[in-house]
Amino acid sequence: MEPVLQVRGLHAAYRRTKVLDHVTFDVMPGTLTAIIGPNGAGKSTLLKTMLDLHPRLGGEVRFFGTAYRNAKLKVGYVPQRGSVDWDFPTDALDVVLMGLYGRIGWFRRPGRRHRELALEALDKMGMADFAKRQISELSGGQQQRVFLARALVQDADLYLLDEPLAGVDAATERAIMEMLRTLRAAGKTVMVVHHDLQTVEDDFDHVLMLNRTVIAHGPTTEIFTQDTIARTYGGWLRRKERVTG
Amino acid sequence: MFKQRISKSTGRAFALLAAMLLLAACGSGAGGGAEGGAGSAGADGSGADGAIRVVTTIAQIAEPISVIGGGRVQVTSLMGPGVDPHLYQASQSDIRKLGSADIIFCNGLHLEANMLRAFEEIGKSRPVLAVGEAIAEDRLLTDETGAVDPHVWFDIDLWKEALGAAVEELKKLSPDDAEFFEANKRDYFAKMDELKEEAVRKMASVPEKRRVLVTAHDAFGYFGRMLGLEVVGLQGLSTEDEIGLSDIERTIGLLVERRVPAVFVESSINPKSIEAVIEGAKERGLNVRLGGELFSDAMGGAGTEEGTYLGMFRHNVDTIYEALTGEE
Amino acid sequence: MMGLSHNALWVLASMLMLGTAAGLAGCFAYWKRQSLMSDALAHAALPGVVIGFAILGFKSLPVMLLGAAASALLGAWAVTAIRAHSRVKEDTAMGIILSVFFGLGIMLLTMVNRMPGGGQSGLDGFIFGQAAAMVRQDMRTMTAVAAVVLLVVLISFKEWKLYLFDPAFARGIGLSGRLMEAAYLTLLVVIIVIGIQAVGVILMAALLIIPAVSARYWTNAFGTMLALSALFGGGAGVAGTYVSTLGDGWPTGPFIVIAAAGFFLLSLVFGTRKGLFVKAMQRRAQMRRLKPQAVRRDPLAEGEALP
Repeated sequence: MEPVLQVRGLHAAYRRTKVLDHVTFDVMPGTLTAIIGPNGAGKSTLLKTMLDLHPRLGGEVRFFGTAYRNAKLKVGYVPQRGSVDWDFPTDALDVVLMGLYGRIGWFRRPGRRHRELALEALDKMGMADFAKRQISELSGGQQQRVFLARALVQDADLYLLDEPLAGVDAATERAIMEMLRTLRAAGKTVMVVHHDLQTVEDDFDHVLMLNRTVIAHGPTTEIFTQDTIARTYGGWLRRKERVTG
Repeated sequence: MFKQRISKSTGRAFALLAAMLLLAACGSGAGGGAEGGAGSAGADGSGADGAIRVVTTIAQIAEPISVIGGGRVQVTSLMGPGVDPHLYQASQSDIRKLGSADIIFCNGLHLEANMLRAFEEIGKSRPVLAVGEAIAEDRLLTDETGAVDPHVWFDIDLWKEALGAAVEELKKLSPDDAEFFEANKRDYFAKMDELKEEAVRKMASVPEKRRVLVTAHDAFGYFGRMLGLEVVGLQGLSTEDEIGLSDIERTIGLLVERRVPAVFVESSINPKSIEAVIEGAKERGLNVRLGGELFSDAMGGAGTEEGTYLGMFRHNVDTIYEALTGEE
Repeated sequence: MMGLSHNALWVLASMLMLGTAAGLAGCFAYWKRQSLMSDALAHAALPGVVIGFAILGFKSLPVMLLGAAASALLGAWAVTAIRAHSRVKEDTAMGIILSVFFGLGIMLLTMVNRMPGGGQSGLDGFIFGQAAAMVRQDMRTMTAVAAVVLLVVLISFKEWKLYLFDPAFARGIGLSGRLMEAAYLTLLVVIIVIGIQAVGVILMAALLIIPAVSARYWTNAFGTMLALSALFGGGAGVAGTYVSTLGDGWPTGPFIVIAAAGFFLLSLVFGTRKGLFVKAMQRRAQMRRLKPQAVRRDPLAEGEALP
């Protein structure tokens, strides 16, 4: 089996600080991977750099064996919820439709079929009733579901999600995780930047432990140990002590 | 706790900003006006050879004075060709020039509207004469609101009075040269009278109903009075107001009613509004020509005929005469 | 049309077109949270106008407008440069560029006014504008600009929606952020450069900012907001121009801005979404719904349970 994602020696910086250093890993199809690490470890930056949303200082990234720009339609990205202005005057259905813009094409209007697809995606996330609701009136969890519906409608093969469970209610969290599992069952690959160490073992079959560089990567049961956790977060704790000391 | 060094790029950005501000500050000190008369400049006091240092605002004062004063004066004017005295603001170098003058002549009557403070200050240490205000009040023109028309240099007789007052001041400063000044003044005034006769004669030969002068602003009131022309300005007495549609429409109405063949732009005023008048008149069937450029608040370039008071006046008369008597 | 002169009609048409175009582009600036950018760009155009004249030595409108566009774009670049290389926030950077460029423009204007040779008259017409002097050619130009803006908006409507809402996602599905940014800037600069001849550098921002803000009070749909903003902009152009014909010597540009502000006040108070009046009505309705419940005034006695 060919890996869907191959990263070799990825380097990136944010302002003056090196945020990604020699990051190297492969992701196999049909896996559900959690990307974890302390704050500032480069998790979000990793996703952004892979997707050419952040400047890359070095290294190589291959999606489905080719460069990102050739594989765009196969990759679905769900950015952090706080990265957009939810006051924007549009409704949930419209946001989900945006996921189809790549397929609708420039200068064309969305057709009935596209609207149906969008409605289906909303329904999968339990948001069908909110299709015409203004996004500014949605709760955090509902907004996240809309974002996820937008990713679903892209019908990608690899999904990259940035902190989808941050600040959402328990019901939404369950709904999202269930959706991710459904995707995996359908043969898709999912990577999630995750913040909650408690749920890693239960929800994710693979884990990528990141602290500027890859501390460990592999099946959760094998590599998610006290030792690797300490190595991933320990350095950060030590740094924190120096700051307050 | 954290030590923050100002990053190099921030430093560079601020350096660029500081440089621009410095440039702006220096720039306000640059620039100069037209110079006339003989004599070399001395740092303080009068010129190296004793010439009286005269500083004026407008060239309509500077040029005649430099002719009348000859080698005994060294005249500088702050406002050069194409400058609008209604809007002009004194710069640092202007203040310096005023400060080192022996005598200062301005037009007064609110022409140099933005320099009043400067004159007040300078007046405390240097003699300042507003030559326009030496003219008897009842001979001045006012508009509907009661504001005095300051463009007095367009009436030859009034301007003789103003220049005369200036010459008297020169005589006071240098009594030995009083006769010299008087003789030159008489010669110059003779030329002015000649010019007036010529102008009156020419204008009289323009058909009565064509004697309408339409320009960008109300600078030609005295000109019109002296030569029997009806004068219509698009803007009022000062160029500080923005032109409104009603001004443009009113002017077009007058042009069409009197079938005036030409309108004029001025060297110191934006021509766009006059162009709007021309196009509007065309819509109503009247082909108004652009009669030419007149000198209103400023004179021509130094060294040219139009750079002299007499030459400037003659240019205006000829331009108007030719345009108004041309074919319609 | 009620006996308006040809000049009035030209001005009316020109301001209608300019207002419409500015309303549309202003909406984009509003959602990019860059309303101040319109003001910064307008002020930054001034030095370019003066330099355009100074280089040639005489007034050539195309050259001056090109100069205006160039210096406005330089200002835009400076804002991004300051933001990228320092800790200065975007609105601070815009404020800096606005004032520095404008000051530079005034300084250059002063210097040019002292240049011998004349012909520099009218450069200061770019500061306050001369809406009343619009002629047929201006009307054609403004109409062309408005048509182009409208075309761009209509053709790539959903692309603009996506770009303004979620630029990161947009890039992800292949919508080049740089292309949209370039298109947005170009639209703004063209409108500004054409518009400053009419309303001047200082008031141009008002046309770009006020109609968009007014529209916000009426709708929750992006498309409707664009349409309303265009309507308010064009409407202000027409209303302001018309009012200025009523009085003797009334300047057109400022009245257009006042008209725009008037629309804003109306929207603020009566807007169907978020308008003050509507909010007050909603609050009143809520209070009425709550009234039937008894409001407890005495504190609970010891041992007493809550009702």
